[in-house]
Amino acid sequence: MLARRTALGCALALSALVFGPLPAFSQNFTKQVHIIVPYAPGGTSDIIARIIGPKLSEAIGQPVIVENKPSSSGNVGADFVAKAAPDGHTLLITDAGTLATQPNLVKKLSFDVQKDLVPVTLVMFSPYLFAVHPSVPVATLQELIAYDKANPGKLNVGTSGVGSIQHLTAIVIAKKYGLKWGIVPYRGGAAAVRAVVSNESNVIFNGALATQPFVVQGQLKGIAVSGDARLPATPNLPTFKELGMPIVETGSWQGFLTSKGTPPAMTARLNTELRKILAMPDIEKKMAELGGYVKTSTPDEFAGWLTKAIGDWGDVVKVENISLD
Amino acid sequence: MDLIANLFANLATGFSVALTPANIGFCFMGALIGTLVGVLPGIAPITTIAILLPFTFTLPPSSSLIMLAGIFYGAQYGGSTTAILVNVPGESSSIVTCLDGHQMAKKGRAGPALAIAAIASFVAGTIATIVIATASAPMTWLALKFNAAEYFSLMVLGLTGSVVLAHGAPEKAVAMVLVGLLLGLVGIDVNSGSPRMTMDLMDLGDGIGFVPIAIGMFGIAELAVTLGKPQDRSLLAVKLRDLWPSWAEIRQCIPAMLRGTTLGSVLGVLPGGGAALSSFAAYALEKKMSKNPERFGRGAIEGVAAPEAANNAGAQTSFIPLLTLGIPGNAIMALMVGAMMIQGIQPGPQVMINQPDLFWGVITSMWLGNAMLVVLNLPLIGVWVALLRVPFRLLFPAIVLFCCIGTYTANNTVFDIWVMLVFSGLGVFFYKVGAEPAPFVLGFVLGPLMEENFRRAMYISRGSSMTFVERPISAFLLLLTVALFVVLVLPAIRAKREEVF
Repeated sequence: MLARRTALGCALALSALVFGPLPAFSQNFTKQVHIIVPYAPGGTSDIIARIIGPKLSEAIGQPVIVENKPSSSGNVGADFVAKAAPDGHTLLITDAGTLATQPNLVKKLSFDVQKDLVPVTLVMFSPYLFAVHPSVPVATLQELIAYDKANPGKLNVGTSGVGSIQHLTAIVIAKKYGLKWGIVPYRGGAAAVRAVVSNESNVIFNGALATQPFVVQGQLKGIAVSGDARLPATPNLPTFKELGMPIVETGSWQGFLTSKGTPPAMTARLNTELRKILAMPDIEKKMAELGGYVKTSTPDEFAGWLTKAIGDWGDVVKVENISLD
Repeated sequence: MDLIANLFANLATGFSVALTPANIGFCFMGALIGTLVGVLPGIAPITTIAILLPFTFTLPPSSSLIMLAGIFYGAQYGGSTTAILVNVPGESSSIVTCLDGHQMAKKGRAGPALAIAAIASFVAGTIATIVIATASAPMTWLALKFNAAEYFSLMVLGLTGSVVLAHGAPEKAVAMVLVGLLLGLVGIDVNSGSPRMTMDLMDLGDGIGFVPIAIGMFGIAELAVTLGKPQDRSLLAVKLRDLWPSWAEIRQCIPAMLRGTTLGSVLGVLPGGGAALSSFAAYALEKKMSKNPERFGRGAIEGVAAPEAANNAGAQTSFIPLLTLGIPGNAIMALMVGAMMIQGIQPGPQVMINQPDLFWGVITSMWLGNAMLVVLNLPLIGVWVALLRVPFRLLFPAIVLFCCIGTYTANNTVFDIWVMLVFSGLGVFFYKVGAEPAPFVLGFVLGPLMEENFRRAMYISRGSSMTFVERPISAFLLLLTVALFVVLVLPAIRAKREEVF
């Protein structure tokens, strides 16, 4: 496999030579670039990295290798990037779990998301679909609240894990409406969807990507969509904003980061290249197929976004007194 | 009659897609890549599929799924080659193949072991294709009926049956299951989110990896034990006619293959855990059905045929929940969902209705792929066996090297190589005290699933343990466990006390 990667790299380098000199940038890439995905292959971050990898390689004239380092809710991979050489050749792509909730939940983290990682750009935002198993006799948020009041403890929310954004979302919504539902953690979003489709649990908040097909095909009944824009595939589902629900902006998002100490010019070059790729029509189309939309930012905007997200979820965690140590 | 007419119409649709020259090519490529990846220990099919995923974006959906599926079952088959030849299992299903497959190899019968593995896989693949084509609907129903309570009861049944796996003292087997269970609990607890027994090592957050344990305890430990013995290689000087199993042996294996296929087809449908059981269950069943169970663990050919059939049938029926419900049963299937979505296909029940050519094309390509695997692998058997004639001083360092590379690439972390070394030492220790690693690994794999589902079921029932007997399928499985215990385990414990091993 290594041989293949090298061969691919050579081919790409060669094509760069043949098709003209690279534009002169103040910061150049001198060796292969690694994109670290801190989860197992197949997740959203992984798929994005593998879509973007070849395009980035073309843009910078160096091979790009996608590497999975799964363990500890993404913390092992993030730690690896935090401690990598500060030359902008090691990138991290990860999601709100690693970047916004873990820093609040795990006090003994070996790195600081805001100090040891340098934000490059946001990549994608995907709203949550709020859905129930079809056997639950409710079609709207109000009916669901009434049903839970009449049958306390009968509903269970399947989530992708303790302390995940799904889990925290379920807590915040229960608090706002006085719901008595149980919260059942699973190993990841796919397992949670399976559990709710088979009626083991019966309520779910999950990325539109993985959940939409089940709602469209009637295996789940949609209640609402997070954010402030209705989804094209489910135009009849109201948004959290329309319903006046709390944490309107809940959902999943991904971003690229690199190692602490990377020169700002290098970060800027990475930001430019990645945003150019993310603006390509075919990439936008692929992101839509993944259930979200492209959302890019400058490194500074991303840093501000991180501060806000960590602060917001930190408030929820503090109020609920959740800790994973 | 309608059913049969439908079946043939559907298969015809499928073959019209699968038999186009391009798709035959992709199917062959998938099977070939899968075999190669499977043969190299630790290089997981999931990594390969992930790497190849971007290349499939430009292919038509059916071709891309046909190729990815080919990698998946090709790797299942390739994994058994390494298990038989050098006792290195790449995944949980090949551990059972190690038990008798490697014993056969040590007796100079690697050829027949490899051949029967290929034949059993093909037979199982053929039957599983027919099962998918005819029985998808009831199988889907079964998959949806399995909730936390049922999974817990299934795991209890599996662990009780695992005692049969050992051919030494049952007490030792039980102890090994318990040690495995305990180590399986290392890592972040799903139900509370807090880390357990991780010694503050972040690398242990997701638990101890399966690949380093299996490779260390089976592969490296086996090498160490072999090196400690006087070298006798006369057995490996096999003649060419010994490359094939005799007709008598194949006949002897037919019932084992059929039973393995049945078990594997049913268990493969259950997402999240069922598939891990299938090869163990098939092996345990064969050992119990056999008139002379003492041959098992010492190179019984049925001990290779049954789990290989179960494993392959399960690999194929695990596509049922994916194709009919859109629910991925394991990580590889989750990757397939990603592949389908990027092609603009929403996995789910509508696939079969809206895109019958894709659905049946993929199903029939599996049968085709299995046929290709036989064609591909039978001629290779001679090459593999010749590999065993490489002198130990060259072969052993090469195996250790491959084990290290494989362990590293599974999660791209050096930590796992250390874990592998620790478990190599532990494996040698277990060998010296006469305890077997197979029940240990089964406990390790099933224990966490059992605990997770137990606590989940208790939570959903709000603390009522009656949930396990009130739900019919769960109650049936528990009843079966009691029956198994009374019929098999108690007399086994009593009888084995008197035997000397």
